[in-house]
Amino acid sequence: MRWCLALLLFCFLAAVNALSSSGSRLLVVLDDSTEKSLYSTLWSDLEGRGYDLAFESPKSDSLSLFQHGERAYDHLLILPPKSKGLGPNLTPKNILDFLDKDGNIILALSGRASTSSAVSSLLLEVDIHLANDRSAVVVDHFNYDTVSAAEKHDVLLLNRPGPLRSDIKAFFDGEGVIALPRVAPQTLGNTSPLVSPILRAPETAYAYNPKEEMPSADDIEATGSQLSIVSAMQSRSSARFTILGSVEALEDQWFSATVKTVGGKKTPTANREFVKQLTAWTFKETGVLKVNNIEHHLATDGEIAAEDLNPKIYRIKNETFFSIEMSEYDYDKWVPFEVPAGDELQLEFTMLSPFHRLNLQPTGRTETGVIYSTQFVTPDQHGIFSFRVNYKRPFLTNVEEKHEVTVRHFAHDEYPRSWAISGGWVWIAGLWSVIAGFLAFVVVWLYSAPVADKNKKTQ
Amino acid sequence: MPAKRHAATTTSAATPATTAPLSSGPATLKTNASPAEIAQHVWQQYLATTPQRTMLLDAFMAFLVLVGGLQFLYCVLAGNYPFNAFLSGFSAAVGQFVLTASLRMQTSDSGSDVSKPSSKGKNARFAEESEEGTGISHERAFADYIFGSLILHFFCINFIN
Repeated sequence: MRWCLALLLFCFLAAVNALSSSGSRLLVVLDDSTEKSLYSTLWSDLEGRGYDLAFESPKSDSLSLFQHGERAYDHLLILPPKSKGLGPNLTPKNILDFLDKDGNIILALSGRASTSSAVSSLLLEVDIHLANDRSAVVVDHFNYDTVSAAEKHDVLLLNRPGPLRSDIKAFFDGEGVIALPRVAPQTLGNTSPLVSPILRAPETAYAYNPKEEMPSADDIEATGSQLSIVSAMQSRSSARFTILGSVEALEDQWFSATVKTVGGKKTPTANREFVKQLTAWTFKETGVLKVNNIEHHLATDGEIAAEDLNPKIYRIKNETFFSIEMSEYDYDKWVPFEVPAGDELQLEFTMLSPFHRLNLQPTGRTETGVIYSTQFVTPDQHGIFSFRVNYKRPFLTNVEEKHEVTVRHFAHDEYPRSWAISGGWVWIAGLWSVIAGFLAFVVVWLYSAPVADKNKKTQ
Repeated sequence: MPAKRHAATTTSAATPATTAPLSSGPATLKTNASPAEIAQHVWQQYLATTPQRTMLLDAFMAFLVLVGGLQFLYCVLAGNYPFNAFLSGFSAAVGQFVLTASLRMQTSDSGSDVSKPSSKGKNARFAEESEEGTGISHERAFADYIFGSLILHFFCINFIN
């Protein structure tokens, strides 16, 4: 009976620790069930990666993101509804609450129908802006699919995106072109460090509403690579929110389509691989960092005893050693995390402001982690300090480690003795010559005393 | 020696004839004497009239001034890095100087008292009173001096670490 229960528990744990690093319950919000068959490859791909898919209509009364105040799902995939808005159970507030509770969301938009104001206000909350004309689509007369959109030029063919910056790891790169039909464009706010574009429109692209006339040049808000086709927002708690401009890119039809660029030859699309990367990143299968172990101690030669590890107290001017072991989740396992070239993992030794900010160097490697370490001398300042590792980069979960230690001043008997400092020898000699002079004086005084006494007596 | 002590009791100008055989310095100073002659005269008077113990005290104090001055000079020139060493070395010299100066005040004042017995017959009552009231005996003063010095040395040796 007991082993039966244990087995049950084990199965339960295994289900919880599915392939994603943060749970496997995925809710797909889908307008009507006939649409479901359009994305069958995506569903089977996701199920193949260990997700438990649940499908709900936004109109459904039973749809709730929370149960007993906790998330009922780990991830959310919202496809654009035909009707206006996402219904009473998926208000922007509900969705943001879901994000606050570390739920991950993919929101797909479509250029076919105009985007609802509920979605627009939700995106405004995370500093992502939709075009004023909500029916606008992105067109590009240089990077379109000549097979399917020879007239309208609204099926973009783009290479898969490389790294956002040279010092950032690329999570979405690879061979092949992606077909993105009828993209609803987004622009990203300048001020938020949490949003970053995954895929930008090419420089020759612009957005307009095909049902209306061409807008005048004054009405155009953003063109070219200012337009974002796929954007991401990662909250401070590392919950992820991805906006995909083209829902049609998820369809089976485009997973297996053959496209032809202008002046190019026919190639199959790489949508399936790109969508795999996109869902894997959003649902925390990639780009997830973990701190396995942090050690700090006085720098010594050889092995360190267990009781000397991670002491609560240091002294000023102590030579101190710090190391941190970091892993990265890669689809289904933890692998050693390598800091991208050009980037540095840094340690701060902080009291209010950092007294030291040091680059951590990779010094060791375990089965699942890389050990980064450094060595430094604690500053000549006593107080409550903390070892801090604050590593926040686009597309990687935030690492913020803070370990407080006390730094004390020298104890009374820890100062060097005076005679150990050659500069003090003069004063030591001075002191002892005063004492020797005193003793000589006393002796002479005492020897001269009887004379005085005799003198006194004789008088 | 008795004569010299006697000389110490009286003012230098008032003893021209009685100390003639023992006083080596010039008896009087001319009114138009040069500064060098005055200094010479003062030095001669000092040598002639100061008791031996007082001279011993003066010699020790001069030694302390020398030692203290050297330590201070070293601090000015070489910096005060082990500052506690400077403080204790220098303050040992200064403190010892102060203690020795107190001993000199107590013993050289009563040194003139010692010679009072010459007038004992006439004014015995006054002499007795000065012995008991204002004067502290040499032995007592010296014991206090030893006690104070030992405390000072204890302090300085501790502080120099």
